[in-house]
Amino acid sequence: MGDISHLVQFFFSGLTTGSIYALIAVSLVIVYKVSQLICFSQGEFFIFGALIMVTLTSKGIPMPLAFVLSILIAMAIGALIQQALIRPIQGSSIGALIVMTIAISLALRGLAMLIWGRESHILRPFTQGTPLQIFGATLQLQVFWIVGITAVVLLLIWLFFEKTSLGIAMRACAENPLGASLMGISVQKTALFAWAWGSGIGALAGIAVAPLMFMQYTSGVMPMVKGFIAMSIGGLSSIVGSVIAGLLLGVIESYTIGVISSKFSDTIVFALLMVVLIARPNGLFSKS
Amino acid sequence: MKKMLAISTLIFVMFLLTTNVGLTQETPKAAKEPYVIGGVFPLTGGLSWLGVYKQKGSELKVELINKAGGVNGHPLQLISYDDQSSPEQGAKVAQRLISKDKAIAIIGTASVPVSGAVASLGNKYKIPVIIGSGYSVDTQKDKFIFNTAHKTDFACARPFQYFKSKGITKVALLMPIGALGELGSTLARKYAPTYGITIVGEEKFDIKAPDVTSQLAKLRTLNPQVIFSFCTGEPAALVARNMSQMNMNIPVLVSHGNANPGFLKLVSNLSIPVIVPAGRAAAPEQVPDNDPCKKVVVEFSKAHMQKYGEPANYYSAEMVDAIDLIAAALKTAGSADGEKLRDAIEKTKGFVGMNGVYNFSSTDHHGTVLDDMMVIGIKDGKWIVLLK
Amino acid sequence: MDKIKKVWWLIPVVIIFLYPVTVGGKSAYWSGILVFAGIYVILAVGLDLLMGFTGQISVGHAAFFAVGAYTSAVLTVKYGFSPVLAMFAGMFLSGILAWMIGRPVLALKEYYLAMATLAFNEIIITLIVGFENITGGASGLRDIPPFSIFGLVLDNHLHYYYFVWAIVLIVIASSVLIIRSPFGRTLVAIHSDEVAARTFGVDCAKYKTRVFVLANVFASIAGSLFAHSMGFIAPDDFGVSTSVNILVMLFLGGIGTIYGPILGAIFLKLLPEITYLVQDYELLLNGVILIIVLVFMPKGIYGIFTTLRNRVFEKAGK
Repeated sequence: MGDISHLVQFFFSGLTTGSIYALIAVSLVIVYKVSQLICFSQGEFFIFGALIMVTLTSKGIPMPLAFVLSILIAMAIGALIQQALIRPIQGSSIGALIVMTIAISLALRGLAMLIWGRESHILRPFTQGTPLQIFGATLQLQVFWIVGITAVVLLLIWLFFEKTSLGIAMRACAENPLGASLMGISVQKTALFAWAWGSGIGALAGIAVAPLMFMQYTSGVMPMVKGFIAMSIGGLSSIVGSVIAGLLLGVIESYTIGVISSKFSDTIVFALLMVVLIARPNGLFSKS
Repeated sequence: MKKMLAISTLIFVMFLLTTNVGLTQETPKAAKEPYVIGGVFPLTGGLSWLGVYKQKGSELKVELINKAGGVNGHPLQLISYDDQSSPEQGAKVAQRLISKDKAIAIIGTASVPVSGAVASLGNKYKIPVIIGSGYSVDTQKDKFIFNTAHKTDFACARPFQYFKSKGITKVALLMPIGALGELGSTLARKYAPTYGITIVGEEKFDIKAPDVTSQLAKLRTLNPQVIFSFCTGEPAALVARNMSQMNMNIPVLVSHGNANPGFLKLVSNLSIPVIVPAGRAAAPEQVPDNDPCKKVVVEFSKAHMQKYGEPANYYSAEMVDAIDLIAAALKTAGSADGEKLRDAIEKTKGFVGMNGVYNFSSTDHHGTVLDDMMVIGIKDGKWIVLLK
Repeated sequence: MDKIKKVWWLIPVVIIFLYPVTVGGKSAYWSGILVFAGIYVILAVGLDLLMGFTGQISVGHAAFFAVGAYTSAVLTVKYGFSPVLAMFAGMFLSGILAWMIGRPVLALKEYYLAMATLAFNEIIITLIVGFENITGGASGLRDIPPFSIFGLVLDNHLHYYYFVWAIVLIVIASSVLIIRSPFGRTLVAIHSDEVAARTFGVDCAKYKTRVFVLANVFASIAGSLFAHSMGFIAPDDFGVSTSVNILVMLFLGGIGTIYGPILGAIFLKLLPEITYLVQDYELLLNGVILIIVLVFMPKGIYGIFTTLRNRVFEKAGK
């Protein structure tokens, strides 16, 4: 019995961290899909979402409204940054663009420190209640929210890219910018939308995850790195792939810690990543 | 042009957002040249919340000393820099303090690696450095280094003493990967036999991980009576929260230095008992009246409350004592020369500070003893003393 | 005119040489800062060979910085090696390690390559933290002796300054020579079109591995210099954030120019001198300054110099 509850517990905590990685990975993939850009400032949208939510709820604004407002604010910041900072250097090399996102990330982090201070903040779980007990293992209720939100986001993204003209235009842009612009699709506009979307989902991830973590201005770095890993295992532009990879990463991490060694768990996880990359250079879930 | 416009709007918006934060610069004016004390604090990076406590406390202490007329007719001046929680940056700013700002002594640092980097400069340039971290001063090599934080040994021995008095014998370790965790693990094994405690198991975790339930589940099967997790701030709070969520109704012992308002806020609504080793500054009113340090602690805490709207804490106490010790040594040495100052600090005996009564010697650069540490817990959102 | 063009590099060399005896003089602080800057120049130049010229992205350059630093530190502290010998041991170890992982890792492209190098950096750090008996673990390793050559101990800051910058100049000069050699031209060919290079019979993997080894041996040298100048090292300074910093130096200075990354490294290492003064705004200001440089100097800081130089020569040519 003890052993089973053990293994179940490892699975649950893996699921918990994995769902965090998955959501972050999705927000990274969205931006990458449309603008072929790895956005290093995604971790900051994550904390901005969570911290704006903390501020709004502490001002007495009801949860659902605060939820929507925080995401909208993050989307607006993302769009503003795209217009003011990314657009002017659009033509430069990918490397320069990446460094630009690093610079943006520094600036946003500095800003977050000024606004919210250096200490950690707590966000209340969306639903109060005792965690579930299954086979003697504990599962936090917030995990259901995270999984649910991820599912809804996935559905919305799918609908958007498959069923709306804007989504189809964005896909076209990603595949062939020149061709798309010849077809009368504004590359500028789609890039703007992609950033707004990406920032919004990043913020959403932050809000969903905040009740599990403690949020301060540096809290975005770790989830972002793990998001990168999930994204590259999943195959850069595959949303479903990155979700699966994120969950898998969390579960593998958890079992490595639990069964093999907690001291070298990170060594093992990163070594695994290298092996996966070398063996399947286009990601674990790519078709080729 | 458009570029310019967009960027200036963005910068403008940024500053609008931050108008509530002001810059305060104070330069004391006095007849004599000020004595410069250098401060190395983590003001950005993972430990920055802690660095701010230290900086605030130090600034207030310098202000109070200057109000009282300074030292030997000289005012004190605190020049502090950000070590970004990086040893390289710590070494750089320490070098700046020594060669550019002509600091007569350095205080500060919060992590063991940064302390090591700053200490190596103090030794090289023969400038006294009073740190406040888990760094263990090796008096053979660290001739110029002192530490006002209680010896890390105490943070383990003292709670173990408390456990013994409560009949607790089985302790499980959940240590963060890193310097603090390594130390905690060694100490627990060192002191367990002394207090009749068995270490039933040990797990490690990454302080950046959002969940430690895997490790806790593994430890739970060993039926410990206490979980000992030697970490500070968020990770400590996370361990406590996860334990509470898993309904593990046993106490968690975390590192000293969690005795601050920020941590209290993070864990005060949890269902499990949280045990923290701490100094007197954590709960000034609960220090018995016959305690020699009571007056110092209460007075400073009051001044801190007045200036910053929050009580002083364990972190500020370390730095306040450091400045106080330097000021006292300046008086006895009658000079700001590094070596004379060092000798004066080393000869300090019976000095009443916030963290205890300091007795330095050529073999002890920590100065405080086991009884100077208290063990505290939380009740109704406030610190209570468990063992004094 | 051509003569001036050929010897312009003498100007910075003379400045580096004269700096301590003129303006810098007594300040141990500034020579200290410049020693750190020099160490990062070596790192940036090495990465530029790999990234700027061969087009192989790396977000793990600090990994071999760590290997160099820790080999030097462990061998001198625990086994009583002389620093020179320890430095060569570090270079040798880094070279072997880079050669071993080079081929499989460099077969990856762009983003995947970035992730693999990042992972390698993390692996090195976790191993350093994990094997605390040898490396001192996360607490760091102390009492690393100052550098000494042939019995001459470099504990004076000026000696160390000259020593480090002499090595910096050797690294820069050899990099420039490599770039101008047929080997360098092959690298550029691989960068611009690997498939085409292969059809011309170039063994791309071999060349990429070689430049990877070279860049990382440079990083290892930088690590040894760093360890001996700090006297104390801890894993915190060799993480991915350091790798990212080196990356930023390249783009800030102007990638693929050798000289650009030098300027980038110096700029980034001197930037805190300004931002220290504003404490609470430090992080924000760092970000904003980077953003401004990137928006207004898309070719990096070196871009300004080349534009300026071209203008001057154009006018003089008329």
